[in-house]
Amino acid sequence: MNSTIEFQNNDDLAFFGKVNASISHELKNILAIISEAAGLLQDLTEMATKGQKIEFEMLKTCSQDIVEEIQRGFATIKRMNAFSHSMDDTVKNVNIVDVVDLMVALAKFLSFASKVRLDPLPEAEAVVLTCPFRLQNLIYRALFFAFESAGPDGEIHIAIQPQPNGSAHITFSGFDPGNARSFTSDETKKIAVSIGVDIREATELRGFELIVPENFDAVRQS
Amino acid sequence: MKVILVDDEKKFATMLAKRLALRGIDIDYVNTGEDAIVKAEMERYDVAILDVKMPGIGGIELERKLKELDPCMKIIFLTGHGSETDFETGSAEAACYLAKPIQIDELMKILHEVTG
Repeated sequence: MNSTIEFQNNDDLAFFGKVNASISHELKNILAIISEAAGLLQDLTEMATKGQKIEFEMLKTCSQDIVEEIQRGFATIKRMNAFSHSMDDTVKNVNIVDVVDLMVALAKFLSFASKVRLDPLPEAEAVVLTCPFRLQNLIYRALFFAFESAGPDGEIHIAIQPQPNGSAHITFSGFDPGNARSFTSDETKKIAVSIGVDIREATELRGFELIVPENFDAVRQS
Repeated sequence: MKVILVDDEKKFATMLAKRLALRGIDIDYVNTGEDAIVKAEMERYDVAILDVKMPGIGGIELERKLKELDPCMKIIFLTGHGSETDFETGSAEAACYLAKPIQIDELMKILHEVTG
C-alpha cells in the first residue's frame, strides 16, 4: 500500500498561493488588453458617428486582438484548472512530460521568465507514481531558479529522459548555476525528499537535474 | 504635454498609446525599461507612465533612472493588481498609481493634474 501525503505545511500553501497569484496577474493583463481594445473600438465608433475618418486597419487590429486575448484567457483558465485539480489525489501516476509542460506554461507568467527550449518529447513514456502537487512545486522551484540565473534574455533548456529502471531525469541546463545552493535550500530539499527525488548538479551542461523515481514510496521506504 | 508609456504587454501599450493620442496627447511608447532610458536620453518627457512589473529593468528601478535624467519628470505607475503590496514597492515620489484595467478618463484627468 502506498503512503499518503498530507498538504498541511507552509511550503505547499506558499506554492499554491504563488502560482495562483501569477495566474491572476496574467488574467488581469489579458483583461487589460481586452479593455483597451474595446475602449479603442468605442473611440473609433464615436469618431465615425461624428463623420470623422477612421482607419479600417485599426478596427481590424482591435477585433483580432480581442479574439486572440480571449483565446489566451481560455488557455490560462485551462491551465489554472489543471493546476487546481493536481491537489485532488495526493498520490497518483503522472506523466512527467505533462507536469513539466504545465509548470513551464505557468512559470512563464513570471515577469523575469527566460525563454524555454523543451527537448522533443521522449518516445518512451515517463510515467511515475508520485505526489503530483509536490513534483510540480519542485519543478516550479527549478524553473524559478533557472530563470533567475539565466535572466529574461537568456534561454534555458529542459530535457526529459525516461530511464530503463523506470525513473525519469529532468535536466535544466544552459545557464550559470553558480549559486546553486539557493536552489538546494532546506525547503527545496525537504520537498524533494518527501517524494524521493534526488537533485544532482550537471556541471558539464551548466545546470542540474531532478531524478524522479518510478515509485516515490519505494524510495522513501528503502 | 509629452508622455512616454512603458509596458511589456505590447498590445496593451499600443492601444493605450493610440487612445491617448486620439485625445491629443503627444505620446511615445516602448516595451522595455532599457528602451525607455534610450528614449529619455534623446527627448524630454513631462510624464512617464510605467508598468511596475517588467522583465529586465522594472518600473521602480526605471523611475529612479528616469528621475536621474530629469528630476522634473512626473511618474504614473500602472499595476497589475492594485494591491497594497504593489503600492508598497513603489516610490513615495511617484505621482500616482493606477490599477489595470485603467479608465481612460481617469488617466487623462491625472495627466492634466500632474502637469498643472
